[in-house]
Amino acid sequence: MRAPGVALALIGGALAVVAWAVGSAPASQEGRGATELPVVRAPAGAVTFRADAWALPDEVLLGFVEVPAGPFPMGSDPQLDSTAFDNELWAGTTGPQMVEVSAFHVGRYEVTVAQFRAFVEATSYPTDPAALDAPADYPVANVTWPDAVEYARWLDTQLRESSTTPPQLAALLEGGARVSLPTEAEWEKAARGLRSDVYPWGNGLRPERANIQSSSPRAVGSYPCDECPHGLLDMIGNVWEWTLTPFQAGPYRLDIPSPDLRDDALGVMRGGSFTDPPRNARTAVRGGADPGARRPFIGFRVVIAER
Amino acid sequence: MATQSKRSPAARGRGHPPADGTTAAPVVPAVRRSWVPLAFTVALAMASTVDRVRSHPVLLGSFLGSALALLVWQGWLVLRGRDRLPSPAFEVVLRAQHYVQACLQLSVYAYWGWYWRPVYQHAWLLVGQLLFAYAFGILLAWSRGRPYALGFGALPIVLSTNLFIWFRDDWFYLQFLLIAVGLLGREFVTWSREGKRTHVFNPSALSLGAFSLILIVADATHLTWGQEIASTLSMAPRIYLVLFAIGLVAMYNFSITLVSGLASAVLFGWSAAFFAAAGVPYFINSEIPSAVFLGLHLLVTDPSTSPRTPLGKALFGLLYGASVVALFSGLDAIGAPRFYDKLLAVPLLNLSVQRIDALAHRIQGTARWSRAWPAWSPTRLNLVHMAGWIAFFGAMSATGRTDGRHTGDSVPFWMQACEEQRPTACTRLLEIEYSYCADNSGWACNELGRHLTEGRVTDPDRELGRQYFARACEARFQPGCLNLLEPPALVRADPRALDLRLLVREGRATLVDTPERELYTRACDHQWRFACELLASR
Repeated sequence: MRAPGVALALIGGALAVVAWAVGSAPASQEGRGATELPVVRAPAGAVTFRADAWALPDEVLLGFVEVPAGPFPMGSDPQLDSTAFDNELWAGTTGPQMVEVSAFHVGRYEVTVAQFRAFVEATSYPTDPAALDAPADYPVANVTWPDAVEYARWLDTQLRESSTTPPQLAALLEGGARVSLPTEAEWEKAARGLRSDVYPWGNGLRPERANIQSSSPRAVGSYPCDECPHGLLDMIGNVWEWTLTPFQAGPYRLDIPSPDLRDDALGVMRGGSFTDPPRNARTAVRGGADPGARRPFIGFRVVIAER
Repeated sequence: MATQSKRSPAARGRGHPPADGTTAAPVVPAVRRSWVPLAFTVALAMASTVDRVRSHPVLLGSFLGSALALLVWQGWLVLRGRDRLPSPAFEVVLRAQHYVQACLQLSVYAYWGWYWRPVYQHAWLLVGQLLFAYAFGILLAWSRGRPYALGFGALPIVLSTNLFIWFRDDWFYLQFLLIAVGLLGREFVTWSREGKRTHVFNPSALSLGAFSLILIVADATHLTWGQEIASTLSMAPRIYLVLFAIGLVAMYNFSITLVSGLASAVLFGWSAAFFAAAGVPYFINSEIPSAVFLGLHLLVTDPSTSPRTPLGKALFGLLYGASVVALFSGLDAIGAPRFYDKLLAVPLLNLSVQRIDALAHRIQGTARWSRAWPAWSPTRLNLVHMAGWIAFFGAMSATGRTDGRHTGDSVPFWMQACEEQRPTACTRLLEIEYSYCADNSGWACNELGRHLTEGRVTDPDRELGRQYFARACEARFQPGCLNLLEPPALVRADPRALDLRLLVREGRATLVDTPERELYTRACDHQWRFACELLASR
């Protein structure tokens, strides 16, 4: 066999280029180390977040607000709200049902891009880059229902394991509560309190209270609302919020209902978004969404509740 | 087919090897055309203006970069002095083994592409590689001071290479390198065989083998379409019959029946023996993977690089079949993609052909039976072999071992086999579920998540399990969503109609338009009990 040195060198060189090329191929997402988050400061008067606490709000309870136990009127009152959709009227009734809900804590704001980024960077969680492609204090969007569930689960672990967790939250978690998405009932009670108003602030539309019918989301907490129950912000508008509850026409059940396993999964989202008209952005509106949907107008907030 | 080579004095005068093997078509008087490689280079650059090439910046850069490299090479040749170019610059050599092989390969592309459209979208990239191969071949020959054998020689190299590996658009420059390595190997790695210098390796098999090795070692298969190519061939209905028919043409023209036929026989035989012993198929859902069946007809059968004697060809075929079996298990054991099984052994077998022929001569010289063998002409003997192969393939087809549904197509079969702890069954079940999950079957993702969470059939990995539950949920499979919420017991459900469109497709295209009743009937045939019950209740 004749194989001149030059020839072998040429072939060897070619193969070396291949070896170099494949060696320099981008690795998978693994190994993306967590980086220290900068302190996120919104414009004057707006919300401040803690870089040392997973970018959660710089408040005593890291932005969690207590909603006391007790019944509340769930669903729409057709006498009060002629724009209600059929799926808001609970089966066998003509108006809201009183629904008992245990005490829980809910996030004052929607989960932000910075908070979700902290999760992604800590866990190398594979997510759509669009979810992180927004200012840090904007509500995270383009997240699926599993993304939201996984974030809540991760935050639950962080709060349990950290020594900096406020004692009140630590006690809640030790007592059996978990960080999760809100159920539909929890979300609606947080939004409307003990009243059956169309909006958190009352029955009249007030554009200065919520980001609806606009061209883009805004930083969380950009629409102050002194009248809103529990001091929660952006319950209406900005982004739709995933809930824990599988979509069912009704009536509402307090436990997590077991849907028919043969049906395609559908998640419930609440609150409407910046893209929606007022009719879609009321406290009783129930939107159904494909759990795999990533949309620029769907985000979430979390609660700490017994599960 | 085998005829004596008639090479021009100019081709032999400098002592360089002929560009190709031992069989030659008539040599047409040569002409000197130094602008020809420039024309190929310009054509390659112009090919970069088509939408398919412009669709990706690296693809575009690969075309233009290759053209630039060829241009620089031509510039160097000009600077070196035109008087040093060989005279004549070309000799026209038309070899049947080139144009017949090319026609057969194009037939495969045409049929396969009808059922998997990325093949047709690859057409312009094939054209680019052909232009590159011609220009590269000419410049290589001239750089070595000998005329270029102008003919169809570049076609089977490019077409054969692309039947097994394409690089993805963002790595496409490596495809040009793949072709270049094949051409360099043909030019430089030669030996004296039966008194003539000829290349040692099948050019495409050399580059495919070398690149496969690098891709395996670097765990970089994802840079190529190799896995998709290997699995989508079976999307074309009756692909075994089509490849068989195409193979007959090659067998008739190039007397390679013993190579292909015996390689097939080894693989069919091994599959049958393994199933009898283990109760599960060796190659998962076929007796011979369709891409291997393609390889043993159109890759391993280059007459220039395979043995000359009938017994040598028989040994060559037996060894190829055995090597595929061994490599399939070997690659499986190291966790490498198994589709390389048909590529890795060919260069080694090429390297062994002289020894195989020598061994065949020795056996024939000593064995009594060989003296009793009728002294038929090679053509007649080949026809006898072909008759045997046709009968064998017919028997395999008649017993359902080629096209049609295979035992391993049934997911419940693998679930049952895993339950019974048959060899490889659980590993195969996980692979099958992984494959269907990647195609967006929520059911398959949920089952994978369950296996990873329970840790009964694989090592437990709850975090990975959650990722599969999430994927199942995103595919709207209810149990996936519920399992993400960590219920006391994991939730399972039967596949939905949407899942069945994938699960019972038997390696072919997703059954998008199949009516539900037909879908459930097929599912019942696949041993999905719920589907049988559903049909009975309607």
